[in-house]
Amino acid sequence: MSDGTDVTSGNGAPAGVPITKFDDPHLQPYAKNPRRAEMLIGAILLIGLAGFCAYGGLYWVGGQTQWEAVFGGIGFFAFGFGLSAWGKYLLPQGPFVEDRHDLKSTEPEIEAMAAAIEDRGKMVFRRRGFLGTILGAGAGVMGVVITFPLIRSLGPQPKKTFDTTNWRSGSHVVDLDGRRIHRADLEVGGSLTVFPEGHQGSGVDQTMLIRADTKDITTLPGRDTWGPKGYLAYSKMCTHAGCPVGLYQQVAQQLLCPCHQSLFDVLTGGNPVFGPAPRPLPQLPLEIDSQGFLLAQAGYDQPVGPGFWERS
Amino acid sequence: MRKKLRVRYLLPGMLVGGVAVAGLLTSGASVSQAATPPAPKAAGTVALKTATRAADNIITYHVPPSSYIAPGRTLFELNCSSCHGVDASGTARAPNLQGLGPATVDFWVSTGRMPLAVATAQPVQKPARFNRKETLQIVAFVNSLAPAAPDYPAGIPKVNLSAGDVVEGNSLFVLNCAGCHTITGAGDALSNGFFAPSLHKIYPRQIAEAIRTGPTQMPHFGPGNISDKQVADIVKYVTTSIQHPTNQGGLGLGGIGPVAEGFIGLLFGVGGIMLVAFWLGDRK
Repeated sequence: MSDGTDVTSGNGAPAGVPITKFDDPHLQPYAKNPRRAEMLIGAILLIGLAGFCAYGGLYWVGGQTQWEAVFGGIGFFAFGFGLSAWGKYLLPQGPFVEDRHDLKSTEPEIEAMAAAIEDRGKMVFRRRGFLGTILGAGAGVMGVVITFPLIRSLGPQPKKTFDTTNWRSGSHVVDLDGRRIHRADLEVGGSLTVFPEGHQGSGVDQTMLIRADTKDITTLPGRDTWGPKGYLAYSKMCTHAGCPVGLYQQVAQQLLCPCHQSLFDVLTGGNPVFGPAPRPLPQLPLEIDSQGFLLAQAGYDQPVGPGFWERS
Repeated sequence: MRKKLRVRYLLPGMLVGGVAVAGLLTSGASVSQAATPPAPKAAGTVALKTATRAADNIITYHVPPSSYIAPGRTLFELNCSSCHGVDASGTARAPNLQGLGPATVDFWVSTGRMPLAVATAQPVQKPARFNRKETLQIVAFVNSLAPAAPDYPAGIPKVNLSAGDVVEGNSLFVLNCAGCHTITGAGDALSNGFFAPSLHKIYPRQIAEAIRTGPTQMPHFGPGNISDKQVADIVKYVTTSIQHPTNQGGLGLGGIGPVAEGFIGLLFGVGGIMLVAFWLGDRK
């Protein structure tokens, strides 16, 4: 490098590589009659142009989705077809084979290279401790600093929102329209999606209110008063992936989740009997006030919906 | 350029095209099947005006005349009593029908689910065995045995469709029905061989009967849960938008969701790309 001697000239001379001639049949277009092919391709491209113009014009005058799609589709299809045909029929048909020289270095070249590395390497390839230290420090700081936006990009911390709902002790049970549910409203075998009063339509609070025959219900320990008059309320969020468990099967007394077919037994505290759901549906303790309206004795006694890291 | 397409290039194309056409035909058939029930006459704007009228006569309940009881007894003994017993009080094979009310019996018989042909997890809808008069005779006989229980309607409902509101019906349908019957009303499987049937071939009266009596796994929606007005809204929505869908995107493909749509998309999309690839790579 320093003395200017060309020790690695290689054997890359172009000797022996054939030069393509212009009368080579591989250079001729695939079409037997190029003039006619050109006219045909031109016609196709013109159809595409007309399609795009029609699309634009239609959009300009107000638009109609299906016809816009048809005209735009004609434009794109004709252009694609025309370009493909152009490449296929009018460009040199090939195939082209280019010979290349031997890539292996000669013996003297290999030896010269080895000698050069040995000779100059003492100066060129030594360790640079100073630069390495700076590089390491920079990478370390970058690694630490980049963590903060990365964590922040995950969004605000959920804090305790996963653990609680808007159901409180004394929350009136209302339907989506805010109508309070009376104990006479549901027939045995009826179901309704309910919310705590003032939070209609809230996803986390949605609850399946079901009325079963009291003699069929198997009350779990500690839940003796939770289902007055056969009214049972379960969180509508599946404990597997949070889908709405709204498919109430009246005779089987099961709630079916439409996403992954988890089945919950309504009569035995929302116990999962099939599918991937790992836990029973949380049950909302209900009571009936002096006027006969349904309200919550308390909020849910556990987090609703699917599991999460901090769930105890 | 001027050269016959060889069979090995044509074969995949023909395969793809043939299956695609077959798929389109079957999906088209199911769409045309869906369009068979009679179209309701009232337009949406008319319904909006009349819906604000007084809430009377939205659903009227009527009971067949008592002269139908005697011929109904004969029909019941011939066709129903072998399972339900001569007094409809049920046997080991079939449930007690006393007190279920006229609407329940009319629903099961007029949708062809009863008499049962094959005992499956859930009776299926099939062409009705009896004409309207015979059905009402059976209803009259069963109703004469015991009065309808308080949570069942005391008569066969007749829905005043002009009182229904399609927009309200849509949101009620989404909230209460679409979970099982799907958003297009095509129906879907539930658990253990149960299923929510298609709503594409059901009459207004039968929709109201199903809502009010809760056949098989369907929840039992009383007037405290879904009011008469809301039933009329749902019936109106089902008999218009569900049974006569306007498929803005072209073919409805049976309204059964991404499987059919993906199937057609794969056939036409990948099939088309295959054909283009064959054409591009075709050299002499």
